[in-house]
Amino acid sequence: MNAFAILLQTLLLLALAPFISGCIKNWKAKLQTRRGPPVWQPYLDLAKFLRKDMVISEHASWIFRAMPYILFISTLLAGLMVPMVSASAPLSLFGGALAFVGLLALGRFFLALAGLDPASAFGGMGSSREMTIAAVAEPALMLAIFTVAIAAGSTNLSQMLLAAQGPTWKLLNPAHVLAFAALFIVLLAETGRLPVDNPATHLELTMIHEAMILEYSGRYLALIEWSASLKQLILMALLVNIFFPVGIAYNLSAPSLGLSLLWFTAKLLAAAAAVVVVETTNAKLRLFRIPDLLSAAFILATLALLSTFLFE
Amino acid sequence: MTLLTPILIVPAVAGLLCLVLRSRRAMELANVFAFGITLALSLRLLAAVLAPPYAVTESSEFFRADALSAWMVLLISVVSLGSSLYAGRYFRRDLAAGAVTAGRVKEFFVLTPIFTAGMFLVVLANNLGVMWFALEATALSSVLLVALYNRKTSLEAAWKYVILGSLGLALALFGTVFTYAAAVDRQSATLPSFNWSHLMLVAGQLDPRMIKLAFVFVLVGYGTKAGLAPMHTWLPDAHSEAPSPTSAMLSGVSLKVTLYALLRFHILTTACLGTPFSRTLLLVFGLGSMFLAAPFILVQTNLKRLLAYSSLEHVGLICVGIGLNSPITIFGALLHMGYHALTKPVLFFAAGNIHQTCHTLQMRLIGLGVAKVLPLTAVCMGLAAASATGLPPFGLFFSELTVLSGGFAAGHILVSTLVLAALLASFCGILYQLTRILPGTPKIARNANAAALDSVPAMGLMLGALVVFSVWLPTPLLEVMERARDIIGGVQ
Amino acid sequence: MNPLQSELASQWITLLAAGMLVIQLLMVVQRMLLTNIRLFALQSLMLTAIAAIVAYFHNAAHVYWVAGLTLLGKVFFLPWLLNRQVRRIQIHQEIEPLFNSTASMLLCGGLTLLGYIVARPFTSLERLGNNTLGTAITLLLTGFFLMFNRRKAITQVLALLTVENGVMLAAVALSTYGMPLVVELGIFFDLMVAVMVLGLLVYRIRETFASMDVDKLSQLKG
Repeated sequence: MNAFAILLQTLLLLALAPFISGCIKNWKAKLQTRRGPPVWQPYLDLAKFLRKDMVISEHASWIFRAMPYILFISTLLAGLMVPMVSASAPLSLFGGALAFVGLLALGRFFLALAGLDPASAFGGMGSSREMTIAAVAEPALMLAIFTVAIAAGSTNLSQMLLAAQGPTWKLLNPAHVLAFAALFIVLLAETGRLPVDNPATHLELTMIHEAMILEYSGRYLALIEWSASLKQLILMALLVNIFFPVGIAYNLSAPSLGLSLLWFTAKLLAAAAAVVVVETTNAKLRLFRIPDLLSAAFILATLALLSTFLFE
Repeated sequence: MTLLTPILIVPAVAGLLCLVLRSRRAMELANVFAFGITLALSLRLLAAVLAPPYAVTESSEFFRADALSAWMVLLISVVSLGSSLYAGRYFRRDLAAGAVTAGRVKEFFVLTPIFTAGMFLVVLANNLGVMWFALEATALSSVLLVALYNRKTSLEAAWKYVILGSLGLALALFGTVFTYAAAVDRQSATLPSFNWSHLMLVAGQLDPRMIKLAFVFVLVGYGTKAGLAPMHTWLPDAHSEAPSPTSAMLSGVSLKVTLYALLRFHILTTACLGTPFSRTLLLVFGLGSMFLAAPFILVQTNLKRLLAYSSLEHVGLICVGIGLNSPITIFGALLHMGYHALTKPVLFFAAGNIHQTCHTLQMRLIGLGVAKVLPLTAVCMGLAAASATGLPPFGLFFSELTVLSGGFAAGHILVSTLVLAALLASFCGILYQLTRILPGTPKIARNANAAALDSVPAMGLMLGALVVFSVWLPTPLLEVMERARDIIGGVQ
Repeated sequence: MNPLQSELASQWITLLAAGMLVIQLLMVVQRMLLTNIRLFALQSLMLTAIAAIVAYFHNAAHVYWVAGLTLLGKVFFLPWLLNRQVRRIQIHQEIEPLFNSTASMLLCGGLTLLGYIVARPFTSLERLGNNTLGTAITLLLTGFFLMFNRRKAITQVLALLTVENGVMLAAVALSTYGMPLVVELGIFFDLMVAVMVLGLLVYRIRETFASMDVDKLSQLKG
């Protein structure tokens, strides 16, 4: 619980999150032979939102005003629990992975409530859709993480990382591969990417995340957008670090941390590239087909869990 | 002189020959001739098997015939000969009526010998994998035979048959692989033999768990193809939609050949495990088949489906006989195989005649009075039906009696009573059904098909053989059956 | 063989077997017939790879033959044949299956568990990739499910072929050197002929029924 480590990781999270979002947007555009916004555009957007005035519906209650802060802080706390640059994460709450999932769920809960709060039709619709997806995505997420937890003997995310040391080809065991596949699908669902949700749409029939935050403006919107990018970064970091702990720093010396930062960024960009490719090559699924996709992820995660027992 | 190879080659060559022959008459003759030769060869095989070393092997143990195989070879040749004798006239009438094209008739005469050659390969192969391969070959050739008429119902029957049959064979292949794995399970550098005779020698050293699992797979797999309930759903469809000569062969021998393959595994399993595991399973499935067949016989509306369900019941009885595992019941089961193989084809031939005269197989459409329209057919059918229901003095009465008495004597009172009940039910069923069509005055005017007389040689031959062998079993035949019984019972 | 190489080979075989299983599950929910055929080809490719690894590891020449046959037959020839059938018949998509996607997936998950439980007593045996027996039995069970769940005839043929893949996997996994070459050849050619016969039947069914829906094949009852 080193305060310095916490501060560093917080800064890293806050700084890196919009960058990854920007990369994804830019590369998606390039893949579609457009020029696309520059990679640092999200920073400029955040700055713009922070400057602007807010217009709040008269029907909104305290939830509307509180939600951005709750979302931001819970996401940040969850992010502090994930080992990013060093193998031991700065924060380690009770239950490790369980607390991680719980914090993300807390944020999502308030997000859904705030979608309902201003009594707009779009908001309610977005909230219900979000909860439907979450109901199927969360078990898959948990099972995938538990697969690795069982192999590591602990739900502490740092422990999982330490247990994954060893020759690289050992990472090719079926449990890992299946859990990775399941977690990747869950990543697409949780961060609202195609084929689950189109992050760039504002059409009533197709938006999920956008619908919930439609009423937000000004600095609340800035916080919410930042939280979304944070969640994306955190899940990607979880994915790449737990399953490919290459180049992570096991001691806290400055050169190893620096090297680890480079490795980390490279892995994140690779994951971002994978997301871009998947987004560009797939059409958005119709809403009632999304549980099909997520149950596929669930089955993959279940298989992964079974594999740890059966593929001894 | 080599005995086994000609038995395999002659039908295969005949089939391929029919590909190039043009005249239908020539094809008929080729078939009859080929099956005549195989009958002669099978009689010689019977004699050869009775002399020590009581088994004929060829091609370095690749083919092997012991008493059980010789018995099966005899049955296959007799039924194929009868079918080919009948087939000529049958297709002549069908061609005249326009029910088939000449191309399809040629298909029949090409596929049937190949089907028979496949069956011969099953019973003569020593290698379990080759046995599987031969069964798959018979399945594929018979599928095309079932689909011969290309009607909607024929295609449906053929599709069900091929899907269920292939599934069953895939399961059986699993079982075969497991059996092989049980033999491999030692750190040896050489490939173990897949030959049944060799496996029997080392039966005590095979992994028992694997053999158990293998037997279960083989039972369900080959059982599907043999028509054991509850995997029998393809049977009534396939046997009723096929042309009558093919139905006769399917019901008459094909089921028993598959049962033979199952029996080889049963013998191996019992030798390895020494427990009643495999025969209990056989008993259960056999009883199940018998009881499943009875109600369907009672409510049946289609003549050939009735005969198919009757086959189901008889196959069940054979399984029960083997499952009871006393020497008497096994002997009874073997007798039953033989007599049923003589009886069922006659029934199917008669049904074929009726079908061609009345142009329907629905019994209420056939109506009463077949005896007046087709007197000879009706006589043959009546006699064969009496035999199939187990009436004396026909052989099936003796075989059923043997099985029952063996069962009661060995103390399996419940099982024997159940068997008796099932036999009684089917007896009533078949009797009832046939009284709906045979006696009485025909209400629908039908011209007696004069050509129906042509099929009398075929039916007469088999019926005659049935009557003769019901009352007199020549000693060599008895000896062969006793040896076969010893092989199944595990007595060496 | 040094233990490290053995473990590496075992790891790869296990991974490929798991891949075969995942593809099987994908086939259960995939509706486009052409994609299903491609998935089958991919599954057979993984099987070829497993056979090749076993052959390399044990220096067993005839298993190379098996791998080669599988490659030629199941990865190239059969998918080509089936593709031709599908294009001839002009039906490219399955209709609504008996169980919907989610239920199918869950059922197959259950069948996987069942397969592994059945194979449990045999996984203690010392051999390469010893846990692939469970995968083989699961392929069998899910193949059955696929056959039962779907209604187009071509999918049933594909289901049968995946069951055969499972059998081959069991043969490679269980017997150190595979089955005798004669048997393998026989099984292989049988399979080819079986698919041709099936294809012929499918074509005749299509001509007579004007549909590939096996639900229409339900006239014969009782």
